Amino acid sequence: MDAIYKLIQHYAPKIPDLLALALAVLLPIAIVMGVFLTVFALLTWVERKALGRIQNRRGPNRVGPVGLFQPVADGLKLLTKEDIVPAAADKVVHFLAPVLTVVPAFMVLAVVPVAKGFVPVDLNIGVLFALAVSTGSVLALFMAGWASRNKFSLLGAMRSVAQVVSYEVPMVMAAVVILMAAGTLSSVGIVEAQRGLAGWFVFKPWGLVAFVIFQLCAMAEVARTPFDLPEAESEIVAGYHTEYSGFKFALFQMGEYVAAITMGGITVTMFLGGYLGPGSDLPKIGWLVSAGWFFAKLGIIVVINIWARGTWPRVRVDQLLGFAWKLLLPLALVNIVAMAIWHFASNKLVGWGASAVVLAVAIVALVKINTGQTFEKRSYRFIS
Amino acid sequence: MTIVFLTLSAITVLGALLAVTLRNLVHCLLALVLFFMGIAGHFFLLKADFLGAVQILIYIGAVAVLILFAIMLTRNISGTEGGRGSLGGAWWLGVGIATTLAGAMCVFVRRSDLVSKLPYGATEEGVVKEIGKLLVTDWVVPLEIMAVLLTAALIGAVVIALEEEKKR
Repeated sequence: MDAIYKLIQHYAPKIPDLLALALAVLLPIAIVMGVFLTVFALLTWVERKALGRIQNRRGPNRVGPVGLFQPVADGLKLLTKEDIVPAAADKVVHFLAPVLTVVPAFMVLAVVPVAKGFVPVDLNIGVLFALAVSTGSVLALFMAGWASRNKFSLLGAMRSVAQVVSYEVPMVMAAVVILMAAGTLSSVGIVEAQRGLAGWFVFKPWGLVAFVIFQLCAMAEVARTPFDLPEAESEIVAGYHTEYSGFKFALFQMGEYVAAITMGGITVTMFLGGYLGPGSDLPKIGWLVSAGWFFAKLGIIVVINIWARGTWPRVRVDQLLGFAWKLLLPLALVNIVAMAIWHFASNKLVGWGASAVVLAVAIVALVKINTGQTFEKRSYRFIS
Repeated sequence: MTIVFLTLSAITVLGALLAVTLRNLVHCLLALVLFFMGIAGHFFLLKADFLGAVQILIYIGAVAVLILFAIMLTRNISGTEGGRGSLGGAWWLGVGIATTLAGAMCVFVRRSDLVSKLPYGATEEGVVKEIGKLLVTDWVVPLEIMAVLLTAALIGAVVIALEEEKKR
């Protein structure tokens, strides 16, 4: 932001101060919104193509070459559809909910370093900000479910609240390890801490475990299949957005996809070295190369998401919550201990071995404890 | 700066007023969230980024969701059944108490020399680091007591839930 302000002053000193300031503020926002909305449109296409491939069909192939303009057609279709608001709905909240779903997703983008020297706002508590803001989507989902005055919507909303609250905990615990390693909360600082050969945090035993936990929690947090209980089609119609149509529905889809992309961006920043990569420090074109690296890594995360969506069935509610509380959370706590061992180990090799052993034992024990449970036949209290 | 401050303050005050005057409980909660957001905005404006993020994380991410669950378990959410509005009756008493409390706080905060006595350099970079260090040195006893308290509450909740299971 400051850099752009200085550039403007340097190259066009005639521009009034206030205008330069406004440009310096608005330009990064415009760039980020533009780039990520394009990525979002592309992602819907990639997802449908990839899912089609997994399910042995072609996916969209009518609009434009290989169906590339399908997102445009979808957007136009949803824009021109009638916007139906249920008669009993709470009008104001019903209107606000889809708007508020999109806001936190985009706000997280403010602290994601997309390229070398390009981060909209370099907060010194960047990662904490991202984690805090992304919780805001819960309220929007709940507002949607509650305002619709529909049993299915409310069920979906309650599910999403329970799910997000549960997965928040192991997610933050997994992130703690990275903060310990980098010694800073700034997103740029975390990326810079991963310099060097095999310096990415995912290449360390604790980093790998934290990466897997974080990735699973991120998928659960944005409610993507296999964790898409809040909108499970086979059980509760469409969950919290059952009563939404037209562009409001499109906004929900956009919120979900943009949240998936931004969580991917945070994952890349924290575990995969962000914009770092061969050539990212070149003097003139470094920013372009580093942006390329960032988006390549983001692409890998996104493809993993789609792959998981295409291959795994949806989990049950008790499995979902048990998985978070009985497996991921204890593992994340052990991971912090492993990180402490690594930190205080006399040399790197000892640290590697010791933390890897601790983690392996913990994983084996936790999996042993958690498998083989059988459930009694359920009895329902209110049905006699 | 002043424009931002005034807008934020207006939003915050509006949220607070709506939270106590609206009849529908869920609307009240949403107004309360607006108020929390305003406070977080103030923290960011004052360059207290850490406090701002924590405000969002705890008050919007946790407290608001907790209140939400509590509301979902109550009847008469729409506030249409019986009773006066929340502003009926002895509203002047509430205003009086609130003004007195706020006034007393203002007086004592202004009088106290706590801020100047703070030994911790509140530098931009080091706030989080300083807080972390203090939590495990000077304030380790309160921290541990809080941890024990929370663990006790957690175990208590599990025990209560288990008893209900047995009764069925």
